[in-house]
Amino acid sequence: MSFWLELAASGLITGGIYAVVAIGLNLQYGLMRIMNISHGEFLMLGAYLAYWAHTTMQLSPLVALPAIFAALFVLGLLVYRLCFRRIARTAPNVEAIEARSLLVGFGLMFLVQNAAYLAWGADLRGYQYLAETVNIGGALFGANRLVVFAFAIATSLALLVALRYTLLGKAVRAMMQSPTGAQLVGIDTSVLHPAVFGCGLGLAGVAGALLSMVYEISPSMGEPYTVTALIVITLGGLGSVSGSLLGGLLLGLVEALGMHFTSPSLKMLLSYGVFIAVLLARPRGLFAR
Amino acid sequence: MTLRATLKLTLAAGIVLAAGPWVLSDFMLSLTLTCLMYAGLAVSWAMFSGATNYLSLATAAFFGLGAYVTAWTLQALPWPVVVLLGGLVAAAFAALVGAAILHLRGAYFAVLTFGLGELVRHAITYFEKSYAGTVGRVLSATPEPATVYLTVLAIAMAAVCTCALVRASRLGLALVGIGADEERAQTLGVNTRRVKIAAFALSAFFAGALGAAMAVRWTYIDPPAVFNAFIGFQTVLIAMVGGAQTIIGPLVSALVFSLLTEFLRLQFPYLFLMILGTLLILLVLYLPGGLASLWPLLRARLAAVGAWLAPLEDRGRRG
Repeated sequence: MSFWLELAASGLITGGIYAVVAIGLNLQYGLMRIMNISHGEFLMLGAYLAYWAHTTMQLSPLVALPAIFAALFVLGLLVYRLCFRRIARTAPNVEAIEARSLLVGFGLMFLVQNAAYLAWGADLRGYQYLAETVNIGGALFGANRLVVFAFAIATSLALLVALRYTLLGKAVRAMMQSPTGAQLVGIDTSVLHPAVFGCGLGLAGVAGALLSMVYEISPSMGEPYTVTALIVITLGGLGSVSGSLLGGLLLGLVEALGMHFTSPSLKMLLSYGVFIAVLLARPRGLFAR
Repeated sequence: MTLRATLKLTLAAGIVLAAGPWVLSDFMLSLTLTCLMYAGLAVSWAMFSGATNYLSLATAAFFGLGAYVTAWTLQALPWPVVVLLGGLVAAAFAALVGAAILHLRGAYFAVLTFGLGELVRHAITYFEKSYAGTVGRVLSATPEPATVYLTVLAIAMAAVCTCALVRASRLGLALVGIGADEERAQTLGVNTRRVKIAAFALSAFFAGALGAAMAVRWTYIDPPAVFNAFIGFQTVLIAMVGGAQTIIGPLVSALVFSLLTEFLRLQFPYLFLMILGTLLILLVLYLPGGLASLWPLLRARLAAVGAWLAPLEDRGRRG
């Protein structure tokens, strides 16, 4: 019994991280069709920021979280201003925005990842944080994993609530439904677009900081998370934040169970299998009505 | 350029380049080989993706599949058959996958084809580990470098000629129609599904054949080396920089990029990729049609200058 609990919990914990990463990407894609394939690289930056704060200033990563979010938010505004604003303005249609932002995303991926290699080298780094184990109902968990899970879920839920119940959240949802319509009813899209984009990168940074508490970090750590985030978005449906949360948890579970029954080296095959199956069977997401 | 002129030019270039193994130094030969490989990859990529605007990132998958066909069959089959088989396996795989995913457009298609490379890589790693007991394979009894060079040259030439022929054919028109407006093309009686699958498989054939031919350049083959995502990115980048709607654009930029790669990548690996990334961003932002879109602009400028000069000339003659 405790074994199954541990298995499910480890799946859910990974799933919580997936959810945060995917929500960030979903905000960007759902809003403006900006397919930011370099999302994972900003997750990596967040992880390195947390590592740096912990090793040089002995700052707990949890304390550093808001600062990391803010730093990546500002970086997001900058990236939006330099790259994506022009695309959104000059592209003839939505499809062109999608294709061009994808290519720009690849460019950013090269740029950021290799800048990280240049600055920090290729070796794995890590630090110890809350490494003791906790016994819950006979099952053993790393304390840091539980904290990571709690923070991931709390962040996702906070965003979900903000989007659903605040006026600002309503404005963002309105823009997701129809950018032109949102403008017509007086929503300042030229301020809100960059802000939401920055928010997406901020979430990537938070996810990276959380990951750094549990796993070792390296400049190439981000890429798999980008792909996973795309799978989660597909699972949960474009533009649906609650869908991303559920999809992330679900994918985490599927991976954990699948790896247990087959072999750990099949993890990526499993995720891609799920991705392709969902795209073929329910291209609008599992929870679409 | 007319079809006939393109074919003649390609043939002439091929004859000149065929002298390579007997004229060039080893270093120059390997440089030319890389250049030819990327030329073939970029042109065959542009044949499908440039015309249809379906951004395929599966080149690495096809290339790696071709390379593994070589690893599996080199001992048993004669060299031309191995290369042909590499292309055919890649084409068959592309047709199979294309039938399943070519109804998806935009980012979904791009991401799925990117995932395809990873999928095939992981699948082959798993397969080799469980059934062959090893992940990498050592290639022995490889053909002469000159043979490899001529093979790659022949494939690259075939890719250019095929691309020119396709562009002049009904298939090419249908592809461009799909790129402009898929529903309209459908309405006008194009069987878009069949056309897309055929072109996707055709373009995969060349990537697979090139992978099969280039595989023997490495004596040791393992999945991370041959399913290198960099090969796929570089191909897309070369075609986009050159202008994926043309043939000459990808060829010229293949030359430029091979030189850049050869001289910068070994010395400054990270900086090189950073430059590549920046270049890609700038290009997409300011020149979405590629370098080839500069040419009509330049010609218009020249014509304007000519028109401005003409009266002067006239006056000179009169005076």
